[in-house]
Amino acid sequence: MTDFLGYLLTGLGIGAGYALVASGLVAIYRVTRVVNFAQGAFAVIAAMLTGTLLAAGLPHGLAELAGLLVAAVTGLLVGMVAIGRSGTEPGTSLIVTLGMGVFAYAVEILIWGDQPRSFAGLPGVADVAGARLQAHYLLILGVTVPIFLAMAAFFARTDLGKALSACASNRYAARVVGIDVRRMGLLAFALGGALGGLAGVLTTPVQQVTFDSDVSLIVNGFAAAILGGLTRPAVALLGGLLLGVAQTLIAGYGGGAYQLEVALLLMLTVMIVQAARTGQVQEALR
Amino acid sequence: MSRWFLAAFAVLTLALPPLLPERHLAIYVLLGLAATVTVGVSMLMGYAGQVSLGQASFYAIGAYAAGLLTMHGLPSVAGLLAAPVIAALAAVLLGAPLLRLRGHHLAFATLAMQLILLSLLGQGEWAGGAIGLQGIPRLSLGGFELRDDLGYAYVVWAVLAVVLLISRNVVASRAGRGLRAAATNEIAAGASGIPIGGYRLAVFALSAAFAGLAGGVYAFYLGYLAPGSFPVLLSIEYVVMAVVGGLGTIAGPVVGAAVIVLLVQALTALGTQTGMPSYAPSVLSYAVYALLLVAAVLFLPRGIVPALRNLSPLGGTKDGSH
Repeated sequence: MTDFLGYLLTGLGIGAGYALVASGLVAIYRVTRVVNFAQGAFAVIAAMLTGTLLAAGLPHGLAELAGLLVAAVTGLLVGMVAIGRSGTEPGTSLIVTLGMGVFAYAVEILIWGDQPRSFAGLPGVADVAGARLQAHYLLILGVTVPIFLAMAAFFARTDLGKALSACASNRYAARVVGIDVRRMGLLAFALGGALGGLAGVLTTPVQQVTFDSDVSLIVNGFAAAILGGLTRPAVALLGGLLLGVAQTLIAGYGGGAYQLEVALLLMLTVMIVQAARTGQVQEALR
Repeated sequence: MSRWFLAAFAVLTLALPPLLPERHLAIYVLLGLAATVTVGVSMLMGYAGQVSLGQASFYAIGAYAAGLLTMHGLPSVAGLLAAPVIAALAAVLLGAPLLRLRGHHLAFATLAMQLILLSLLGQGEWAGGAIGLQGIPRLSLGGFELRDDLGYAYVVWAVLAVVLLISRNVVASRAGRGLRAAATNEIAAGASGIPIGGYRLAVFALSAAFAGLAGGVYAFYLGYLAPGSFPVLLSIEYVVMAVVGGLGTIAGPVVGAAVIVLLVQALTALGTQTGMPSYAPSVLSYAVYALLLVAAVLFLPRGIVPALRNLSPLGGTKDGSH
């Protein structure tokens, strides 16, 4: 039973990391209808930069913050290329973000090389009701849940958040009432970059990062986000936590090599069921 | 495109291999294989309007099918012919559920498909695990074993020619017209009685067969296979080649593959010169793929081939006089 509790808490910590990647995808998709393939790259860049700054002697907190800021700027840059030209279709933007993700490989290898990197997080082992786990997992959970609450409040309660949501629900009407849809899209990309960066900074102490970690990050994040149709942050959080727990339990009880497959199969199943429910024609109209 | 130009191109590419030194011959073979796969990707994206980020999985399926069958005693020609068939069968089985998806859903689904395949190959004893298959016999045609690169250059030439011919005929057929209609407006096409789902699955299977055939040749040419030879990035490369060359054109995939492969080779040669850091080749090739893809999508959305055709007044009048 304590084994189970340990797996559960570790899984929640890992899942919170996926949920953060997912939240970035959701923030961008909600506003621009673009699925951002470069989302994993934001996490990788923030993590690598934080590692370098920590090694250079910057204290914890400050280094992570710098990583987040650079990830947000990276998000803004990706957004400017992906949706900057007026009349770029979401499908075209998707391919552009794919290209930007590959471009990030070149930059990352140039600066940090192609070896895995990591840095120390919250040290020590926590003891929760007899179950022992790395204390850092609790930190991930402790940061992620407030972030999601803040995001929900931001989208529902503030003017800026409402303007962002307006772009998502009806671009034309949003423009009519004076909202600059393109500017909101860029803002969403910057927000997505920061959220992706947060995911990278938080998970790197328990999970090494290489330049091509972005594939598994984006797959897990997309699997978490697709449960809520890429638009609902709360469902994405739930999806991420569920995915993390399922993977940890499967790994803990003997299927260690199949963690990514769990996410992949979940993603495929959810998408096929959704397509069957909404019908093909509606899907094409989106 | 005029008939004379096509004939001149065929003669030129046929005359080229004996004149090339060994290492350039290898580039010729790999370019031909990449172009063969890209023809399928271009058809899928241009005519069926779908992005596949998993085309390298069918390349892998064809390669492993040819390799495994031949290593278990089948004649190598039979292995080569089985490769596209098995890849197409796999595409029908996978496509039946997956092709219900559209746009980014399909892109992620095909990506997932490839990641699952790679993990199965990496963990399967029958496929040699992470080490892969070694000692695949060479291709032999009628008792004559193809040993040197020159022979494979002509095999690849023939394969690409067959694939281009098939794709030209499919595009000009009733099914091809139906698909083009469906890519423009799915509802209208469906209302006019076009069996969209069936056609789309057929194109998916055909593009998988092209990739499988290329994979089969690759297996015999190289003699060994490993899951690491078929990374996700390879699938993205095919998309880059298709988009850069021009979607939905016959010459586009060949032009796209040629531009990308030659450019990456030139940069690799530059990056491996003495004095360059060890990471230079990979950095340069990633940057080239990325920049070409982004630039092509944003500034030449229809690709190089249609853009050139519009530019040259000569090409325009020729098309007009047709």
